[in-house]
Amino acid sequence: MKKLESRHWAFLGLAVVVVATMLLNFEPKLDISPEAKRMHSFIDSLPAGSIVMVSFDHEASALPEIKPLALAFLRHAFSKGHRLVGIALMAEGTAVGYRLMDQAAAEYNKRYGVDYAFLGFQPQIIAAILSMGESIKQTFPRDYSGHEYDSLPMLREIRKLSDISAVVSIADGNLATHWIEYGRARFNVTVAAFVTAVMVTSYDPYVSSGQLRAMVGGLRGAAEYEKLIGIGGAGRRAMLAQAASHLYVLALILVGNVIYFASRARKGRG
Amino acid sequence: MVEILMSRRVAQIVCAVFGVLLFLLFFSNHPTAKAVTLTVTTQYWQVIAAFALIVGAVSFMRVNFKSMSRKQDAPFRAVGLLGMVAMPILALGWGIGGSSPFLWVFENIQAPMQSTVFALLAFFVASASLRGFRARSVPAAILLLAAVVMLLSRSWFESTTSNILMVTSDWLRNYPSMAARRAILIGIGLGSLTTSLRLIVGIERTWLGGNK
Amino acid sequence: MSSTLLLAVNSGGEEWLDLSKLPLLIISFIVLAVVVILWLMSRRGSSFTPRQIPGLRAVEDAIGRATEMARPVLYTPGWGGDIQRPTTIASMNILSQIAEKTAQYDCSLIYPTHDPVIQSVAQEVVSESYARSGFADRYRQEDIRYVSSSQFGYAAAVEGIITRTRPAAIFLLGTFEAESLIMAETGNSVGAIQIAGTDSTIQLAFFIVACDYTLIGEELFVASGYLSGDKAILASVRAQDMLKIAIAVFLVIAVAWATFAPNSGWWRF
Repeated sequence: MKKLESRHWAFLGLAVVVVATMLLNFEPKLDISPEAKRMHSFIDSLPAGSIVMVSFDHEASALPEIKPLALAFLRHAFSKGHRLVGIALMAEGTAVGYRLMDQAAAEYNKRYGVDYAFLGFQPQIIAAILSMGESIKQTFPRDYSGHEYDSLPMLREIRKLSDISAVVSIADGNLATHWIEYGRARFNVTVAAFVTAVMVTSYDPYVSSGQLRAMVGGLRGAAEYEKLIGIGGAGRRAMLAQAASHLYVLALILVGNVIYFASRARKGRG
Repeated sequence: MVEILMSRRVAQIVCAVFGVLLFLLFFSNHPTAKAVTLTVTTQYWQVIAAFALIVGAVSFMRVNFKSMSRKQDAPFRAVGLLGMVAMPILALGWGIGGSSPFLWVFENIQAPMQSTVFALLAFFVASASLRGFRARSVPAAILLLAAVVMLLSRSWFESTTSNILMVTSDWLRNYPSMAARRAILIGIGLGSLTTSLRLIVGIERTWLGGNK
Repeated sequence: MSSTLLLAVNSGGEEWLDLSKLPLLIISFIVLAVVVILWLMSRRGSSFTPRQIPGLRAVEDAIGRATEMARPVLYTPGWGGDIQRPTTIASMNILSQIAEKTAQYDCSLIYPTHDPVIQSVAQEVVSESYARSGFADRYRQEDIRYVSSSQFGYAAAVEGIITRTRPAAIFLLGTFEAESLIMAETGNSVGAIQIAGTDSTIQLAFFIVACDYTLIGEELFVASGYLSGDKAILASVRAQDMLKIAIAVFLVIAVAWATFAPNSGWWRF
């Protein structure tokens, strides 16, 4: 067997830290960030019964981060009595979005076609947004399960994007930017986003300029949102593991610096 | 005729014509202009991408069959080829909705595999941190301090310290970090602009196989 | 899809020239004029020398190292972009220069990519580079290969190639997303010298930590002119610099004006 190098020990240590803290099943108390509060108040501010479009703009690889974010939002929206229309502008988001909407809807006894609907995937992101701006029915003549658009009572009330109260993009990349550039700029639709942690800094400028109404990012954002809506979820359960792994990385950084300065001192003496 | 159509000169002319056309159409609100722009950027692109996918699939099969004939990682390459063939068969045979085999394979094999590789990032961050965040100089020490504050702000829980860390990390994100990012983005924007101009005007011809 | 597209374009007014975009059009022509004037100056003999860029100076050393160690060179353009992206085109330009050197040194060049169109263009670029350097027989088409369109399928494939072939020099030049650190760390684990450059400011941070040399911002776009010495390309680089100075001056004026006269908005367009 090959001799383990320092980086292998670092990997092993991280694995031990994450597994051990996950097994503890402890949910620490969190401070809520202004971003999570802003999103929460935004969803709360919408009148009950508002129709919100949820766009699953992500790949399957981001599922561990996206699922807690998406479920937290879906649960909040359903609990406020909002009606949700799901779409996907990335192919892999289709199956994920379909399953998550069904799961959340079942928890709140929501009826398909009346309280929520899932329209499916549309390629060519920009063309899809522009097309929905003119007619959602023409863009999605049938829903994901094959029902005619007008056969679903909820969908008869919305013809185009401007009939929708808001679009919430659940993204792991820069797709939400297209919603801002085309959905908001051209059709005046309010856009909010739930994104993976690595994308947060990319969207900060849009939040500060007001182009993005609100944004929640990463597993920490999901945990904060779950706390705000008073429901446990994967986000909160993972917080101890995330915090422990961050502190572990911090420890590695400090160890790396100690080794560096010690070897510098030795070279200085020698 | 084929030789003329496939020549570099024709490719350059097509590039220049469409580049100038789409540039000018961007400034127009006329429905015809918008229709032309969307047709070129979406439909044409979809057709090209679809045929290119065939090229990619053929190349993938050729490379893997060749390696398998040389007995290089044969079992792994066989699995890759099987996946490439099986998924379209499942989709065409049983559909892609509800409880189809295609969706089962996606949810139980593809999604977990992709998530697993994504999760490897955490381990690589750990090894990169061990190596990379060393206070070799004053700027490196400042970077180290910023990294420590950011990490702690995401790890510390309900407390006064947590508030201070969150305010500091937000300041770092919204001011020095954003300023640097915007400056880099301006540079990248200008670089993209001049590269695109060089392509349209024909100064840059490397994409055709060479400038000469 | 055609009816969908027609629907998509029927919004807004019907003017051939959208007057709200007129300032942008004027600025575009100014930029074009600056680029063209400097290009004409270069044709008349003016030369522009870019400053030293450590990452680009190291290219020849990296390939030389790979040749001495009898290990291949790996070059990959990242998952985030397709061929229409300027960053990918800039990456192709650099690939052309690197392929000429690997042809001369008889060093293997492996190029995995996620996009079949990029694969086709790269095959053309590399084969032309090999032919230009007089070693067309050294070109191997199967080394320029499409691996997977899926982000982490591509990342896993490149990781596997790096681990198995143990390249001595790795070039990560293009548009990268989350796969960047996976590749950079794997390259580090096999002891390769790594030169990276991307237009993603997020991934740039990972490259700076994990790679030996990183091309920041527009250094990636300068690279083809820097490596080839082509006067026309260097002239456009000078144009970039002049435009950057103009933007900086404009920013200073606008910030000062906004500070002392916050209600005016002449700079907003």
